[in-house]
Amino acid sequence: MKLKIWHKMIIGIAIPSCIAILGNVLTYKYITDVENRQGYVQIGDDLKELVLEVRRNERNFLYYKNEESLKNLHNAISNLSDSATSISPKTTKEIGKTDFLEFQNSIGKYSDLIDSLYDKYLVAREFTEKVRAEGRKLETFVSKGGHAKELTTSFILHLRLLEKNYMLFHDKKSFLELNSGLSQLTSIIPFCNECSPYIQTMKDLFKIYSQNSSMEDDIQIIGDKFEKNTKEIAIREREKISSFVKLTKRHLLIALALLCTLGPLFVYKTATYIVTPIKRLSEITKRISEGDITLRAPLKEHDETFSLAVSFNTMLDHLQLTHESLEKSLELLREKQAQLVESEKRASIGLLVSGVAHELNNPLNNISLTAETMLEDLEELDPDELKGYVQDIFSQSERAHHIVEDLLDFARARRSTVMEKQDIAGIVKGSVNLIANQLRVNNINLHLDVPEKEIFVRGNLSKLEQVFVNIFINAIQAMKDRGTLTVSIEADEENKNVHINICDTGPGISPDKLKDIFEPFFTTKPVGQGTGLGLSVSQSLIKEHGGEIEVESEEGIGTTFTVKFPLYGERGRTAASGEVPNMEQGKTG
Amino acid sequence: MVVDDEPIVGKRLKRLFKKEGYEVEAFTRSASAIMELDKKTFDIIITDLKMEGVDGLKLLKIARGKNPSVKVIIITGYGRKSIAKEAINKGAFDFITKPFKVNDLKQSVRKAERELRHK
Repeated sequence: MKLKIWHKMIIGIAIPSCIAILGNVLTYKYITDVENRQGYVQIGDDLKELVLEVRRNERNFLYYKNEESLKNLHNAISNLSDSATSISPKTTKEIGKTDFLEFQNSIGKYSDLIDSLYDKYLVAREFTEKVRAEGRKLETFVSKGGHAKELTTSFILHLRLLEKNYMLFHDKKSFLELNSGLSQLTSIIPFCNECSPYIQTMKDLFKIYSQNSSMEDDIQIIGDKFEKNTKEIAIREREKISSFVKLTKRHLLIALALLCTLGPLFVYKTATYIVTPIKRLSEITKRISEGDITLRAPLKEHDETFSLAVSFNTMLDHLQLTHESLEKSLELLREKQAQLVESEKRASIGLLVSGVAHELNNPLNNISLTAETMLEDLEELDPDELKGYVQDIFSQSERAHHIVEDLLDFARARRSTVMEKQDIAGIVKGSVNLIANQLRVNNINLHLDVPEKEIFVRGNLSKLEQVFVNIFINAIQAMKDRGTLTVSIEADEENKNVHINICDTGPGISPDKLKDIFEPFFTTKPVGQGTGLGLSVSQSLIKEHGGEIEVESEEGIGTTFTVKFPLYGERGRTAASGEVPNMEQGKTG
Repeated sequence: MVVDDEPIVGKRLKRLFKKEGYEVEAFTRSASAIMELDKKTFDIIITDLKMEGVDGLKLLKIARGKNPSVKVIIITGYGRKSIAKEAINKGAFDFITKPFKVNDLKQSVRKAERELRHK
């Protein structure tokens, strides 16, 4: 994915935020809607109040049928109409446009119907007067003993009563009673000229009343419809509010659920996207820091860690190059060091060889002297004397042979690099023998305090010999032509290490030089007399054997080197070790 | 006087120079040779250089202290020129390195004898 870390962060933060914002926006919208709907409910309630007012006045008008009630009714209608027309088209759209338009149209129709009805009422009143006049005429006619004896005054009075009832009640019962009364009248006198206007006007009145009644019904139907419409508006809006609240609740819950699930998911995913390359880089740096500098940071992500990884890899390339060149230099240095160590070895061997060569001169001289004198005196010598001469030659050649043998042994031992169980006491004694001639030549006394018992360490014979020969030669050279070399061996208190102490009675080393004496090429000798590697080589060989070398020196008194080696079996090995008896260190001089 | 810690040298040289007509005494230890110097006067001393105890150069000094005309011939297996020079400077008559030719030693002794006689 080619996204930068900050892109990933923005995405990770933006998505849960968007969910939250969406939830808020929806909630706000729903609350605004609910607010609006409450307004519509109010409008609906107001309209309903006005309609109820109209209906009350309608009932009054239908009851009183007079001008005043008509006026009141019109006032109420105009209030309703004003209120309805004051409602904005937007609102009407919201609360049901077609219904509302029908409602508004109905108001006009209703008002017209009322006016028509009032006109009908006036006509009905006129006819009522006519009916009454015709009734009174008929009444007068019958009371004068008019038309027939079947037509009695009481019948007419009864008929007038029915007529009054009908006028008063306008109901079906009074109508049926009156109608049957009129039928009776027609049956009593089928062709009655005096009766027919009454009957005719009455029938006209019936017709008018019937028409009025149907108009009243129409008006009431419209009024009912008004009531129903306005009631429905309020009810519908209330229902809408309720459903909005339900919907809002549901949406809020959904938004909350999304926020709770997707939010952490996105945050986690974002964190993972950001952290994964960094983690990968950190892991690789850890592995590199553990030593494998051939490793490289993977170039997977194209975010900020990409350039970091590229820089890191470039740095590693440089580091590897430097490392390789350093290793080459180190290799070269090791070669040079090995050469120097070898030259130091040769120098010490040279010293030994020159000692041995001088030592050889004595038996050789004895042989040549004996042989020469024997040759000179050959004829004078008796057989016993001759035998003595030959024996001398033989013994001296044997002596020379031993010297050469020792040298060969030494040379052979130097070639071996095997680390094995070695008797350190024996090696110290052997090393002393190797430099015995040097001691003699330089007038140096030897004080050797080495136990008879074998003391074992793990090591290489020639290397250990070289350690001691180097230290001995160093001591001899320090003492010049006189002094005492003291060599002693002892074990430490825990019987874990063997200590070999080598003391000379040389001039000692000043403290400022003492710290440098194990440094390669450090020498106090004149140019050409020492490479300055002897003690350094000894120290490295001692370390190779797990040992230590320490030096103490006092100017004018001498120097003591203490070489410490772990006893055989003290380096986690199971082989038995030689015991070292506790000894008094025999320092002299 | 012959002083050398190699007994064979003393033995051979004693016989050799006796045959030549000299009075010879041989010692393997320098200390006993010095003691002998107190008792007798020796004309020529043949001594080894490197010996336990008193070495050839010390013996030279002691011997010349007792008898300044004594001729000291030093023989040694350690043929270093510096030592030879030092020995000659300290008054040694000759310095011969081992292994030596009998004739060389003989000539040196004869030369010493001649010088002694000449005086």
